Amino acid sequence: MRKIFPAEELARDARFIRQTNEQRLGDPRGARVAGGNSGDRLAKLTPELANGPDRARALMHGIFVGEIQALEGAGRTCWDFEVGEDVPLALKLDMARQCWDEARHCEISVSLAEHMGTELGEFAENGLLYEAACNPDPVLRLTGVNRALEGLAIDVFNTMKEFGNLAGDPVLEFCEDWMLADEVTHVKMGSDWLRRLTENDKERLDKALEFQKIVDRLFSFNGFRGEDDDSPIQLTRRFRELAGFSDDEIDEIADMSRDARVEAAS
Amino acid sequence: MAETKRPREPFAPWDRRALPGLFDVEETAKRVGHYKWVELKLFEALGGWVATVPELDVKLRLGTHCYHHAWHAELFDKRLPELREMKTDRLTVAANDHMVAFIDAMTEPEGPDMTIEKLVGVYRVLIPHKIAAYTYHRNGTSEITDMPTVRILDFILQDEFNDWREGEMLIQSMIESDEEIDRAMVHQTKLEKLMLAAGGIAGPGSIGDPYIDLPEEN
Repeated sequence: MRKIFPAEELARDARFIRQTNEQRLGDPRGARVAGGNSGDRLAKLTPELANGPDRARALMHGIFVGEIQALEGAGRTCWDFEVGEDVPLALKLDMARQCWDEARHCEISVSLAEHMGTELGEFAENGLLYEAACNPDPVLRLTGVNRALEGLAIDVFNTMKEFGNLAGDPVLEFCEDWMLADEVTHVKMGSDWLRRLTENDKERLDKALEFQKIVDRLFSFNGFRGEDDDSPIQLTRRFRELAGFSDDEIDEIADMSRDARVEAAS
Repeated sequence: MAETKRPREPFAPWDRRALPGLFDVEETAKRVGHYKWVELKLFEALGGWVATVPELDVKLRLGTHCYHHAWHAELFDKRLPELREMKTDRLTVAANDHMVAFIDAMTEPEGPDMTIEKLVGVYRVLIPHKIAAYTYHRNGTSEITDMPTVRILDFILQDEFNDWREGEMLIQSMIESDEEIDRAMVHQTKLEKLMLAAGGIAGPGSIGDPYIDLPEEN
């Protein structure tokens, strides 16, 4: 088996439809996931929105395929790097633990998707999340995946938990809260490893944080995740702090989202 | 009032644990190092394969089992310093070159159409051999002097049996033709030969030697 497995070869059954990011953003159903990235007005994801339930269904499908890719990415980190030469054993043990967590998240999210009336493959998948997990530098990979993407997952799960609460859906609220707990753990793993592995390597730390920003920017399209009242996905300060984010870092993500929104409007 | 001064034996009547065991500290450390190496290689492979298998249920099981074997590696890693091996990497090695060849062959399949081979290598060859070696060790070591290893092996064996059952059921659910039976058997035979050459996951003597040497006749 090769080291570094390309995103375009991720193994899927016939139900999954792969799209590029550009194709996905042009998909009118996909647009609802992001809350209006094809010209629709931005709006916080709530059950009261006319298309709120549909957005939530699409988002849950997105969570499911994202969890598959997160599982695959954590699995590849177990395989792609050698203990001692590239990474400490403890890092790989964390990644194996994350594999188990992500496998459970797949089970939870595919069950919730069904619970919400969605069929597997009803929405398209793109490989953006997994692509961040292909970085050949383990520090950059962990920073991009565990801090940027798992950080986004914190925001998404908290938003979906609130959606479940507002919709009077205790199953959704209960499951999202459990997944949220795992995500805080994963982001904290990323924060801890970033600090430990770059303790005496400022240049590598800067490169890793820059990579994190690139990934964060990719997922801030049109301000879809932010702190404004009408941001579809709300940035979650409290849980990010628990996971090792500083106030400055959270401010920066919020600013990035606002900038993306202004840029999209112009 | 209870009689507090009435003597009792140190071992209850039903406690038949005995002091002697088959392995001294050095031999135990050596075996534990080989076990850790195998668990490490296994969880790495299971993690790597997740992205390569299209079958959703298999993908999720591999992700789950990946952690089980990582946890086993961690347990063995923590046991090594207790067995006077402070540089745990020194003993985290394959039992011999044949064992390295076995792992190389087991982890070779990559294509999305090779799930049967991936599962056969792990669940029909490696895990049964692990269960055998761990059971031999667990039953042969002293349950008093080496109880920490026994306790570790008991937890691990429980995982191994559960994972073996799940893996075997996945294989049975995937084999639907004579050709697929042949594929499974060919791969199993290839790997079994390599494991035979290795002498088991801890090398020759992995599960002891049941034969008796008779004195030569004049």
